[in-house]
Amino acid sequence: MKLTRFAPAAAVAAVGALTLSACGGGSATGESQENTGGEEQQQEELSGTLTGIGASSQKAAMDAWIADFGSVQPNVQVQYSPDGSGAGREQFLAGNAQFAGSDAALDEEELETAKDVCGPDGAFEYPVYISPIAVAFNLEGVDSVNMSPELIAKVFKGEVTTWNDQAIADENPDVELPDTPITPVHRSDESGTTENFVDYLSQAAGDVWDAEVSGDWPSDYGGEASQGTDGVVQTVSDTDGAIGYADASAVGELGTVAVGVGEEYVEYSPEAAAAVVDASEVAEGRGEGDLAFDLARDTTESGTYPIVLVSYHLVCSTYGDQNTVDMVKAWQNFVISEEGQQSAAESAGSAPISEDLRGQITEIIDMIQVAE
Amino acid sequence: MSNTTVKPEQGSKLSLRAGKLPKGATWMVAIGSIIVAIVLGMLMTGGFNIPLIALLAGVLNFIVLYAWSRTVEGKRKATDRVATTLVTSSFVIALIPLISLLWMTLVRGGPVILESPTVLSRTMEGMKGIYDQDYVAGEGELLGGFYHSIIGTVLITLAACIISIPIGVFTAIYLVEYAGRNTLGKAITFLVDVMTGIPSIVAGLFAFALFGTFLTLVDPGGIGSAKMGISAAVALSVLMVPIVVRNTEEILRLVPMDLREATYALGVPKWKTIVRIVLPTAISGILSGITIAIARVIGETAPIMVTAGFARNLNWDLFGGWMSTLPTFIYDSQMRPTSPGVAAAASSDRAWAAALVLIVLVMVLNLIARLLAKYLAPKGAR
Repeated sequence: MKLTRFAPAAAVAAVGALTLSACGGGSATGESQENTGGEEQQQEELSGTLTGIGASSQKAAMDAWIADFGSVQPNVQVQYSPDGSGAGREQFLAGNAQFAGSDAALDEEELETAKDVCGPDGAFEYPVYISPIAVAFNLEGVDSVNMSPELIAKVFKGEVTTWNDQAIADENPDVELPDTPITPVHRSDESGTTENFVDYLSQAAGDVWDAEVSGDWPSDYGGEASQGTDGVVQTVSDTDGAIGYADASAVGELGTVAVGVGEEYVEYSPEAAAAVVDASEVAEGRGEGDLAFDLARDTTESGTYPIVLVSYHLVCSTYGDQNTVDMVKAWQNFVISEEGQQSAAESAGSAPISEDLRGQITEIIDMIQVAE
Repeated sequence: MSNTTVKPEQGSKLSLRAGKLPKGATWMVAIGSIIVAIVLGMLMTGGFNIPLIALLAGVLNFIVLYAWSRTVEGKRKATDRVATTLVTSSFVIALIPLISLLWMTLVRGGPVILESPTVLSRTMEGMKGIYDQDYVAGEGELLGGFYHSIIGTVLITLAACIISIPIGVFTAIYLVEYAGRNTLGKAITFLVDVMTGIPSIVAGLFAFALFGTFLTLVDPGGIGSAKMGISAAVALSVLMVPIVVRNTEEILRLVPMDLREATYALGVPKWKTIVRIVLPTAISGILSGITIAIARVIGETAPIMVTAGFARNLNWDLFGGWMSTLPTFIYDSQMRPTSPGVAAAASSDRAWAAALVLIVLVMVLNLIARLLAKYLAPKGAR
């Protein structure tokens, strides 16, 4: 009696469970992610889990790194929670993650805290992700426009309002400019892209751009606001005469501004974006293994593109056991490797780091060791 | 009453011989106003502006119906018709977001599942942006999927149910059958009310802190491993328990006292009365209460992000490693696509498909609860 009443329910549950467990593949491609057996994989097999927390700007690159690292070390599970740079540094310094991604380097106080968590040498930090930010516009018949930093600042401030303004025409003698009004488009949400763009303007065009540097667009300067990178690109694409800033990977077919650096105008390119990091100085007064750059956005060096977002990885100088040390080394070496950087460039549109920088970082990674 | 100046024949004339609108007048007016509103709207804007047309149709419907009814039927009937129309339009307005949401999800998610059913059986392990770029460029199929999130959702919700249903139902039984009006009962009722108001993110932080504290006792560096399925389940049960208690309590109070008294008169002990009489009588109500609670928590995003992280791979183990659920998968795909820029459409496709699966999952749960309620109900109540 009782049995017959519960039987249908049990049957439904059983069928459901079977259906669920029957149809599962394990990976994104449906093929199992075994070691593909490449010749170059001479490394020993490690196994374990690495946890990272941090910047959401690195998410797309991180996806690519994790995917490809899976074929190098199939038994090492890397998980990354894109909670934001601040949360990443905080959690890393609380010892909740083995590495962190951050759009900003640690400050003095955080460096001290790092010594409690990571041992006397504190934490190591170095740039792994360089993403050029393009200034994109939509103007019929015009693909490229030259603009000095001051001019960009004036345009986004709303001081230059039409495309055939004398200020623009002076810098573009060869381009025929229509009298379309300029619509500056900016992000409505707080973002690292805005922060880097505004930081560039205040460093390279400090006379014109007087707003405080933050992730929020200065509300006094007006213009059109759009949600997210895609929103900005969409609005610029839809509006004739619009100009906006977005991750270079997202601008697609839009025309881009060649930015004035010194005497010349530089179009964005991965090489030019990576070059600005090489042209910058490492912040002084920091420990060995700390590659925090003071980005020289006002550089006059030829062939550098100064509007970039640079994101760091933070790792400890020492870890509790040999296995973790080996895993962190393998993982970080993969991230900065040519293969890793290329993979991120393909998937996330970032600029691969230069050979020179890779050499410096490799030395730092070699210093990671087991805590005494 | 004492006013005799009103002549009785006048009143009877009003109520019996007054004119009446033809049958189906309400519908005629409604359809007429919609047509007129479409024409007017198109004349005014030159395009098909749905909100404007709806507003025009609503206002027209009111005016025409009231005016017509007022002239033919008189004031009382006209007011009645207006009230009816008000109630009906409120119902329609309440339906709009629901239908629009279901429609959007079907339109955006349905084709994805039909064209690439593999999203149901694949995970995000090994997924990278370049595959998405190929897909958006039309050179490859849609790779990746959310099988791991479906499993995560089912496991975490199941664990949350196992924790919270007994606690919730037993609390409700205590409140109704044993507590009466004593202080403890009042205290519990008050606390349950307070719990209902807890924001979900607080529940998530609570569960994370709870497991973090315990794990730190065992292993000083263990707080990082507090992110796992079971902490998410605990966070969800914090949200579920008050709903289960509230709903079950309401239903148990509806069980007639006569039934209990009849069993006591036959000498049946109290516990047996509860198990054999009260619970079976109320079972269908209890089950729908539980289903409402499940539907409430299965779509939670914030507490899961805090307690279970963002897993890319399949994880059957509730007690170790990060897990992904459908809501966190949707959030993650939409906010931080695998490939930003143009190819973000691929992540967005997967997110819509996952949203559709989540809705279907909740519907299936509802259906199962209905069936269970039907089969478990006592014979007479079927």
